[in-house]
Amino acid sequence: MFGKSFKIVEPKRFDIYMEEVIFYDGEAIIKIDCAAICKADIRYYLGNRDKKTLGLKYPMNLIHEAIGTVVLDKSNKFKVGDRVVLVPNIISKTREKCSHCVCDDPNLGENYCPQAIFVSSNYNGFSREYINYPVDNLIKIPDEIESSIATFSELISVAVSAYRRLDLSGNETIGIWGDGILGYIFCSTFNQMHNGKIIAVGKHEKKLREFPVHSYYQIGHKNINSEDILVAYECVGGNASSLAINEILDNILVGGKVILTGVAEDSIAINTRKILEKGLSIYGVTRSKVTDFEKALVLLKNESFKQDISKLILNEMQIRNIVDYYEAFEFERYNKELGKNILHFDL
Amino acid sequence: MNVAVILAGGTGSRMGIVDKPKQFIDVYGKPIIVHTLETFDNHPEIDKIAIVCLDEWVEDLKILIRKYELNKVKWIIRGGSTRQESVYNAVNRLSKECSGEDILVIHDSVRPLISQKIISHNIFAAIKYGAVDTVIPSTDTIVRSVDNLSIETVPPRSELYLGQTPQSFKLSILSDAHENAIKTNNINSTDDCQLVLALGHRVHLVMGEKLNFKVTSFDDLLLLKAIIKLGKTEMI
Repeated sequence: MFGKSFKIVEPKRFDIYMEEVIFYDGEAIIKIDCAAICKADIRYYLGNRDKKTLGLKYPMNLIHEAIGTVVLDKSNKFKVGDRVVLVPNIISKTREKCSHCVCDDPNLGENYCPQAIFVSSNYNGFSREYINYPVDNLIKIPDEIESSIATFSELISVAVSAYRRLDLSGNETIGIWGDGILGYIFCSTFNQMHNGKIIAVGKHEKKLREFPVHSYYQIGHKNINSEDILVAYECVGGNASSLAINEILDNILVGGKVILTGVAEDSIAINTRKILEKGLSIYGVTRSKVTDFEKALVLLKNESFKQDISKLILNEMQIRNIVDYYEAFEFERYNKELGKNILHFDL
Repeated sequence: MNVAVILAGGTGSRMGIVDKPKQFIDVYGKPIIVHTLETFDNHPEIDKIAIVCLDEWVEDLKILIRKYELNKVKWIIRGGSTRQESVYNAVNRLSKECSGEDILVIHDSVRPLISQKIISHNIFAAIKYGAVDTVIPSTDTIVRSVDNLSIETVPPRSELYLGQTPQSFKLSILSDAHENAIKTNNINSTDDCQLVLALGHRVHLVMGEKLNFKVTSFDDLLLLKAIIKLGKTEMI
């Protein structure tokens, strides 16, 4: 069977590929139904990586946030027609030879395994008609969760992953810096999992008003300091993350924990004196693992959470051909709203 | 029930190959017909598959069905001497086991780049309208010549489409169309839509794709091989 796919071949240039869909032991064939574009996809689309890196990545199928329908699974784990989320972090098949031993650490896990592969980064992603995919990286979507909402499970799983990065008591005051989609998802996800106060800090009040939090502040507000923030998450990314991290360092309590989640292409300057003076701990968080996705889907059964997440759907658009696909990327490239488009693949 | 009817009764005379029909030619290690059948076998809305095949190739076909585990194939039907007769044989056979409301999705075995979208749209429209043709708009100007030497007319391009497959029908409508064709001695039509139109039934259009082309010549085979890049889904 042949399947159509879209690959980025150079900045701002997609090509259509027709490829045979072959599945191997332990894999199922999935028809991709819904997907969303992430900032990392936009970086590849615009070519905002160094030339050598791009040379090693292109041509590549982008998109790592997607759900699909099982069309063939000879392992019988899934039935034909089952809707599934695709977990983009794939453990290397040579795991037994892995010398890093992070996969079984509950605070780390396979998303930190240096041998893991991640789709649309060092493996072909989901912008295609069909994909052969490891059954261990597929999770059935409960009937009560609509496909468009389930497409956000990747981002929610990253929030779940960031939460389990620390052993929290559940009562700490958490500060989340960043008024973008990731900041919103962290706030709404933590709302479901955490009893303590959740504070959002960002640049745009219009966006912050939508955040399901106890209180919010615009950056630079003098009262952030009085919130007794013990745990702070940076969800800003880019060069602006320098400003956010330094504000966190200024406002967090002594002995606090800072978790970085944003990607900055360049090295950024942070006030190390504050880290020393306050005895702070800094953690890095990236991606998520299968159990984080499972938890995300459990959370999405909750009606209030589903309502919070549905606010992030700006529009639903059909991807019938490569022209629609270009339009989707051009939209997200300039999108400054709180949310993103859900792409319905109809290839 | 939605039944795919795959037409594999052709001999491939336009290809020049003498030892096998074009649908059995290997393309990167798999016969063209298997590529086509896999798409229907893996389509969630297709319940069963019937293949209309040349008598002398039935055994080869059975071997391929076993080898590639094409589990939805339920019928192998003897091909006729014309396309119309082949479909008629399929309609007769399926009428015994299917209901008049069941949908037949009739597709050429030598159009392996059929997409799941076209199949889904065919089924949806056939359920709604009873008769469906897959077409693409004509991008070239088409001229009509009667004597093969000069132009008779140039029909307006905006009204012209190129027919592809699948063509999909409710079984009862297609059965009536074939019986009517036999009665009126219309026995060599190149597609089923003409027969349904002759019944006075409207045929709805579903948009196809250029990629869903028919492999009928060596040029087409070359094109097919060029399109299929052997990237598959290996690690990059």
